[in-house]
Amino acid sequence: MSSASAFASGSARAKAPTLLGPLDDRAVTDLVCAPLLRPAGLRWWVAFLVCTVGLIATLAGIYKLFSAGVGIWGINTSVVWGYAIANYVWWIGIGNAGTLISSLLVLTRQDWRASISRFAEAMTLFAVSIAGLFPILHLGRPLYFYWLAPYPASMQVWPQWRSALVWDFWAITSYLIFSIIFWYVGVLPDFATVRDRSSGAWRKVYGLLALGWRGSARHWRHYRRLQITLAALATPLVCSVHSIVGLDFAASLMPGWREPIFPPYFVVGAMYSGFAVVVMLSIVISRGLGLQQLITARHFEAMAKVMLMSSVVMGLSYASEWFAAWYGGNRADRALLVYEFTGAYWKLYIAMLTCNIVAPQLLWFPVMRASVPVLVGVSIGILVGMWLERILIIWNTLSYSFLPSMDRIFFPTVWDWLFLFGPMFVFAWMFLLFCRVAPVVPMHDVRELLHREGAR
Amino acid sequence: MPPVIRPPSIRADQLSRRHALQLLAGGAASLATGCSEPDKNSVAQGDRTELPYVHMPEGLLPGVPQHYATALPLAGYGRGVIVTAFEGRPTKVEGNPRHPASLGATDVFAQAEVLSLYDPDRSQAIRAAGEISDWPAFASAFRARLQEHGVDKGGGLRVLTGRIASPTLLEQMAKLQKALPDLRWHVYEPTQGAEGEAARAVYGVALRLRPRLSDADTLIVFDADPLGPGPDQVANGRALADRRRRDRASARLYAAESALTLTGAFADRRITAHPDAIEAMIAALAAELGASIARPQLSSGAGEFLAAAARDLKARPDRALVLVGPSLSPTSRALGLWINDRLDGPVDAFAPDDRAPQAGTIAALADALRGGDVRTLVVLDSNPAATAPGDLGFADLMARASFRVHAGLYFDETAAASTWHAPTPHPLESWSDIASPDGAVSLVQPLIRPLWPSWSAHAILAPMAGEPDQSDYERLRAAWRGRWGTDGFEARWRKALVDGVVEDRAPEPVSRPRATLPNWTVPAPAPGFAVVFAPDPSVFDGRFANNAWLQECPQPFSKAVWGNAIEMAASDAGRLDIREGDEVEIVAEERRLSGPVRLANGLAPGVLRITLGYGRTRAGRIGNGLGINAAILRASASPWITRGAALRRVSGDGRLSPAVAGLYALPGEARKLAPELAPGAALPPPAPKPSFNTPTPTPPGDPYAWAMSIDTDACIGCNACVVACQSENNVPSVGPDQIRMGRDMHWLRIDVYDHGDGQAPRPVFQPVPCMHCETAPCEPVCPVEASVHDHEGLNVQVYNRCVGTRFCESNCPYKVRRFNFFGYADGQEYGDLGDPLVKAVNNPNVSVRARGVMEKCTYCVQRISAARRLAERETRLIAEGEVVTACQGACPTQAIRFGNLADPKSTVSVLRHDPRHYTLLEELHTRPRTTYLARVRNAGPGGSKA
Repeated sequence: MSSASAFASGSARAKAPTLLGPLDDRAVTDLVCAPLLRPAGLRWWVAFLVCTVGLIATLAGIYKLFSAGVGIWGINTSVVWGYAIANYVWWIGIGNAGTLISSLLVLTRQDWRASISRFAEAMTLFAVSIAGLFPILHLGRPLYFYWLAPYPASMQVWPQWRSALVWDFWAITSYLIFSIIFWYVGVLPDFATVRDRSSGAWRKVYGLLALGWRGSARHWRHYRRLQITLAALATPLVCSVHSIVGLDFAASLMPGWREPIFPPYFVVGAMYSGFAVVVMLSIVISRGLGLQQLITARHFEAMAKVMLMSSVVMGLSYASEWFAAWYGGNRADRALLVYEFTGAYWKLYIAMLTCNIVAPQLLWFPVMRASVPVLVGVSIGILVGMWLERILIIWNTLSYSFLPSMDRIFFPTVWDWLFLFGPMFVFAWMFLLFCRVAPVVPMHDVRELLHREGAR
Repeated sequence: MPPVIRPPSIRADQLSRRHALQLLAGGAASLATGCSEPDKNSVAQGDRTELPYVHMPEGLLPGVPQHYATALPLAGYGRGVIVTAFEGRPTKVEGNPRHPASLGATDVFAQAEVLSLYDPDRSQAIRAAGEISDWPAFASAFRARLQEHGVDKGGGLRVLTGRIASPTLLEQMAKLQKALPDLRWHVYEPTQGAEGEAARAVYGVALRLRPRLSDADTLIVFDADPLGPGPDQVANGRALADRRRRDRASARLYAAESALTLTGAFADRRITAHPDAIEAMIAALAAELGASIARPQLSSGAGEFLAAAARDLKARPDRALVLVGPSLSPTSRALGLWINDRLDGPVDAFAPDDRAPQAGTIAALADALRGGDVRTLVVLDSNPAATAPGDLGFADLMARASFRVHAGLYFDETAAASTWHAPTPHPLESWSDIASPDGAVSLVQPLIRPLWPSWSAHAILAPMAGEPDQSDYERLRAAWRGRWGTDGFEARWRKALVDGVVEDRAPEPVSRPRATLPNWTVPAPAPGFAVVFAPDPSVFDGRFANNAWLQECPQPFSKAVWGNAIEMAASDAGRLDIREGDEVEIVAEERRLSGPVRLANGLAPGVLRITLGYGRTRAGRIGNGLGINAAILRASASPWITRGAALRRVSGDGRLSPAVAGLYALPGEARKLAPELAPGAALPPPAPKPSFNTPTPTPPGDPYAWAMSIDTDACIGCNACVVACQSENNVPSVGPDQIRMGRDMHWLRIDVYDHGDGQAPRPVFQPVPCMHCETAPCEPVCPVEASVHDHEGLNVQVYNRCVGTRFCESNCPYKVRRFNFFGYADGQEYGDLGDPLVKAVNNPNVSVRARGVMEKCTYCVQRISAARRLAERETRLIAEGEVVTACQGACPTQAIRFGNLADPKSTVSVLRHDPRHYTLLEELHTRPRTTYLARVRNAGPGGSKA
């Protein structure tokens, strides 16, 4: 392995193998294809039914929202944004990690990423789709969401290009379209593999999806070139999408928002929460589909280190925010800083710091990185912490701004909670379907990795 | 509030065949009978015959509003107004510049009258014992009863009214008294002070004394609230503001009060004191001026305050005034008159109106009822069952009269306790006349035919006196023909209608006799709490309880809406371990009232304050069940204060009405949000800040640059602008639940900041409309260009384009934008009570906003457009003063000015160079078009601490 892998393994100590032998090409293919070719088990059906209930509840919530209006949420005249925006930023953040793994880690030749890249990309797809809904759900008049797009309207009005929300519209749209292409390109040879192993109607479906892939050397040559090109394209997109989400806040006048650090800090935050979800999905998939040989301690170790690094960067970001507020000397900024620690939401702020900064420090210890319960606990903590971070960015600034007469507190309603938890079931519902129809691990990448590891 | 019940709708699946046929037959029958001519014999026939528009009335152009002068009553006195009507539909009330109680401005109640006019909860039918009846049935029952009384000359017949200041109605009353000599007339006005007796004690005769506030250099108020809600508020506000504008350094207002009032907020020097201490201060002041009474001991703060006040009084005694409020003892009030007499300050004396018969009090009526002397009781436009002092137990006593008639705008508590109820017309539907507090008489003319059959007080009194049955219009003209004679009557009548005020009717002041010093003894302090009462700034004495605009209009200091509370000083609450929102019970003698506690600034320890007008049970769907009825604790002998009350905490909670904001202390640097200056002082000019972004100057060329200037030194915090804006701009009410969620819709809010500490508040009112920033933060963040700038500097909101991202409100540092979280204007109970009639109140020149759309102050762009259309037709520019925004027009003190900044001679341009000029949040470089003039506190030597 090259020196680049030292980034992930981080030490000269003998590192755990990426794949657990004994494995050969056929074994890898069998392992990955098996869940697709056998009927779903009871556990899957139970999970699927539960998620379907959640999906229906979410759809019912959307119906209620569209028929009654955004007033069903706890937003008020001062805190005009609430869960919808926080959920949006949170889901976009989660959606960042998949493409990041497949692009940045491809470019930096982190071979261990092979086993987890497929489902991480799928996670991106689903998370970005859900995230993309929130800006529409959040609108006062959602039926006119397309006014954010430049279409040839008879009144010749165009979007207002200075608004970060228009940038956002483009960032999400392009990221979603790109993620679909990127994922599909990645899964193409594997669809061909499944096609060759399945029978009946499914064989036709996979045949269509495989687009006539035959695995010829020419195919592979073009394919490799396309994949690396897309990866190179993906990297700036991954950074841009969450930078622009950061600009939703940073391109404003409000204390607590008007901070130039927001774009990079949002990107790191996105990677942070995204990896937390990947860790949890890895655990579920490796156990649920019996892929422990492909998703190993090495992966968890590497991802834990990414999270640890991110938590340090997040800590530095928070510290720089506080420092800038103090050093800038502006009354409003300083007052907001005091409010964050002493105001109406101070308990949540402390909880956020604990989840995002304090708890992940456990991962300095190899023992902790190897412990599944610790990893799950830390990951959940990060997800909670990152959601709190987003909602607190909104609440603190809008609840406590320049004129005290308009200081108002946000009180969530039952509909706020539905729109927080419901989409998680929608995500899981889509992910469960994904596990049944597409190979969750890129077989061709893993086989290649196996050959390289074997050759070493 | 109980849920608002919509009229039941018949669902198809509940409709049987038999039921459907019944409805069909009923409908056909009503069709056959419904197409008759209007009932010409009706006594309510105020107008002549009604006709549809076959020919368009002369002078009426669709879309062009018409303006009529009339007068609206408050506590029986009239305030002149000019009402705007679109196609015969009144939509907006403005002040009448010719009327002395208006001077072109209005109070908050006048602004809301149009909503009351269209209130579907108004009484719509005659009722006998609660059941719907008709006029013939009532007329025959009433006539039979009157015939009985005709035999005994009116013995056992009593009439109870509110204060009557209508010359014609007073004349009718005199005729009635002559026809039935044994009839007794009683007057009860819940917000009436007690001026008459004090004058009698000092001068020996009954005199009406009216201070000329505009001529007073030094004004000392002792628990009086001349700027508080009431028929004099507008005139008093204007007088005090004019006095300040003339020469600020010599105008000084001292206020010693037990509870923070609008006058106290306006004062230069204010002290919070218990009523007992205030009485001592009055005595000490009298002693200082040479009264031979023992000088009582004063606390050091009160002594200092009084010494400063006395020094100013003595400097210019002929330009000094003392006002003593109704909650203080009669002797203190008399002493106040004596002090004024001694100073020879600007007070006019008027002889009482001797044409009117003498009226008794409600306490005398209660005695008569208790003694069984009353067989028939006629209550006109008064609601004693809800508002009479609690010690009378009036609602129960009413039943002692076997025949009880109530005539009023609503089927209220008194109506429910009566055997007969007749609806009266709204003042905007009636012909009448009415005098202002200073005696100027206006004709009241209808803007619209009565929406429902109704009978005015004139129409009810007429048959009692055996007068001929004629319309109010004819009766009124006959009465004025009697006063003016037939010569030139039509011209005078027309002029009076057009002007809105009758010439030569203001009485002349008389000279007053020598004042004698009243006997004064140190009042014995009563143990327990002193409960003081005040007219509510939103519902007054309860007559506006069903008006959603007023219910949602924030109280001046607590900013509470939709209810009142027991106001209490924080120190008392701390001592008794009571928190805000706790339910407590006040017991005074046998009277008990429980309600939630609200902590109030500037309230003296040992004093509780409750505003009147709440706790209504039959106000209507808006006003029912809100707040607590303070009248229960009142005593008829001293209606404004109840001493010796005990207070204890009881179980129950959650009844505290919501508040939209509060009174904010301003620590340190925050003081520049609402600065306070000494007279003649100037604010430091804003320091130029280094910036890479050179601000672009306003592009020249356009002839208009609209701007607003708000003088916080003239603002009295009366809220008239808030409701004027609501009325002009179709701003919906959202109801208490939405307010509790933090969603209000007022385009204009009044922030109040406190420069003092909690015990000695020095409030500054700061009305905040949209700032119309030149570099508006809301504009670049809107993704669809719904928030845009126009070439005249208006920051406009395009409702049709808005998709509701709410980014503009997020990024607005002033937080002046308002979002329609639900369809507030339509399909929401508090907006329209589920009745399409309420939509008639909307201004047709302003869009009604849909759900999901952001809205905000537009500088009344529709009025700018109207002025522009007029100017362009005459090919000239819009002149200064042609555009008057709704808030500006309503402001009693002319604190709000609007005009063209591109014209260097306009008022707003001149005020930009005022040394008191400041910009809210200057440091953000938003360059607002709305700017402010700083509050001045002329505290005098040693007064800065107070």
